[in-house]
Amino acid sequence: MNLEQIVATVRAGGRIDAGQALRLYHEAPTALLGRLADGIRARKHPDRVVTYIIDRNVNYTNVCVARCAFCAFYRPVGSAEGYVLGFDELYRKIDETIAVGGVQLLLQGGHNPDLPLTWYEDLFRNIKARYPSFKLHALSPPEVIHLSRLSNLPVPAVLSRLIAAGMDSVPGGGAEILVDRVRKLLHCHGKASADEWLDVMRHAHRAGLRTTATMMYGTVETDEERIEHMLRLRELQDDTAGFTAFIAWSYQPDHTELAGNEATGVDYLRTLALSRIVLDNFDNVQASWVTQGGKVGQLSLAYGANDMGSVMIEENVVRAAGASYCMDEVEIVRNIEDAGFTAERRNMHYERLGGPIFRERAVPRMRELATARADGDTSVPDELKHYPARSRQGKALRVVQ
Amino acid sequence: MMATDIDLPGLAASHDIITLGMRADDARRHLHGASTTFVRVADVAAGPGGAIQVPPSAGEVRIVGVPASRAAAVARVGEVKAAAGGYPLSGFSLSDLEALSAREQVTLRALLEELCAAGLELVAEAPFDQLGDPRRAIEEVNIAGLALARLTIGTLPEGDVVDGLKQIVALQRDVAVLRSFAPLPRRVSPVLPSTGYDDVKRVALARLVVDNIPSIQVDWALYGPKLAQVALTMGADDLDGVSAEDDAGEGRRRAPLEEIRRNIRAAGLEPIERNGRYELTGR
Repeated sequence: MNLEQIVATVRAGGRIDAGQALRLYHEAPTALLGRLADGIRARKHPDRVVTYIIDRNVNYTNVCVARCAFCAFYRPVGSAEGYVLGFDELYRKIDETIAVGGVQLLLQGGHNPDLPLTWYEDLFRNIKARYPSFKLHALSPPEVIHLSRLSNLPVPAVLSRLIAAGMDSVPGGGAEILVDRVRKLLHCHGKASADEWLDVMRHAHRAGLRTTATMMYGTVETDEERIEHMLRLRELQDDTAGFTAFIAWSYQPDHTELAGNEATGVDYLRTLALSRIVLDNFDNVQASWVTQGGKVGQLSLAYGANDMGSVMIEENVVRAAGASYCMDEVEIVRNIEDAGFTAERRNMHYERLGGPIFRERAVPRMRELATARADGDTSVPDELKHYPARSRQGKALRVVQ
Repeated sequence: MMATDIDLPGLAASHDIITLGMRADDARRHLHGASTTFVRVADVAAGPGGAIQVPPSAGEVRIVGVPASRAAAVARVGEVKAAAGGYPLSGFSLSDLEALSAREQVTLRALLEELCAAGLELVAEAPFDQLGDPRRAIEEVNIAGLALARLTIGTLPEGDVVDGLKQIVALQRDVAVLRSFAPLPRRVSPVLPSTGYDDVKRVALARLVVDNIPSIQVDWALYGPKLAQVALTMGADDLDGVSAEDDAGEGRRRAPLEEIRRNIRAAGLEPIERNGRYELTGR
């Protein structure tokens, strides 16, 4: 097919294959890609509603044995800068989240060998006991695999126990690029191969959970591999229909071992638009204002996105790699409405919850995103002593406790 | 295809920024093709006696800040000229010079002639909305033997955007010396910053409405690489404010020159470096 025929296929609602997607990405002007993606967005969301969620992105630990080359957030086991948040700290964060209208925690963290599965189960149960309607969008596939390895339990069993404890849905983190050549180069193949990541999601979907899917692009992958990533997600979505949304963001190079450049804003808009076109079985595509900033985040709404993601409240991972954008609910809604859309809050299932909270009641403005911990806070949660450590450093810490 | 007066209000009112951007891109390519110019600027402070560093890569040395007095302005130009050698030397905002001339009870032309005699080549910017009489002030620049680097907007004007841009067209009809227009405001409200739609729409409309000024410019440092790059696909053709410091401390690939070339190429355009005199200096 030539470009015109591919464009006609997309306009007619047809599905394109890898070769056609690559030709579209290479040959279509940015405006044409945007127009095609916007057309699909309009077909799927004809009411011109753009959604967002108020939640908090909490990283419960930065201690990680995965050592991905693109990550500036992790600290090795035994590092003086390593932390684990205590249950009480997490309750306080949930209280703060609820106070501004939040409905869930996006809970992800490092692969900490000193946090056994029971720690997660107890945490989830305690949160659900205190906040029964509060949702836990928790533990990306590599974290689930880490727990599977740590506990010598198969992934379905780990998921089953986490679900029983209160896990509501699975965030799509750790996907990076779902091509093993890329994963090996990024030193993240060990935490989860492409097949393993997809298998966790398949098990989660079969267990009745909805999940998101992500893509971190702009490291070492080729354009073909970006498209292969999208096609692998599309294939699983055909099978399970369990993904609620797709979120792409550009690799943030500051303070990482991999270093290099960040992909440009136009590259983001082109990748976003292509994802909307290729992922024809995904209802929702998020804008990544956290990595692109509010302005390109808003422009994403013209290039296929129908969701502004999360108000977020707290962010630690991309901030560590150099991105430090902040938008509170007022700002997100202003950006949505300024672009000619209607803003509505949602939950993780993309069920609409109503209009902006700040129009219903006074909510304090948020000028910058919170961090996991205040600088210099090296406290060790008291409850950790109840959980067996695996690392030498962790065992030593338990003795001190 | 150039926009007509008939469809401009519709384009301005629409949220369809892709159509607007495509029209503006057509107009830009009609004038400039894929060529995208940029200038690397070495800023020096306006206060006399301050440090002056002119990296060899600078395409323009720019005196920034408000001069304390006429004598201080003239002295600083002399200092910088001595240090900058043959580099194009620009400085000051025309509105600041207008205010200074009033304060020191000299004519604007006399002040500009003094600065020219001291070695200034270009007035760095003329903020349209902050000049008492833009036409007269710009003509004084010309008569004094100076050039104007760019016409700018100080703060986002209220009212109809197309009507505001038509005032720029009328100004250029009168003065005919404007080489470049930067339509995005130099000062942004921290409480209510402009949005991405606001910015690219304003750039695109500027390209379509202001059809008698060759370059529509975006400030790389002020608006950031992401927005500035997108603006290049929606009508802008020139980037100001690229740092002349090439030692970014993170390796050559992240130095300003490579970064800007990479961004321009990633937008499907061709980077061409210019200097402050708008002379092309390299690809």
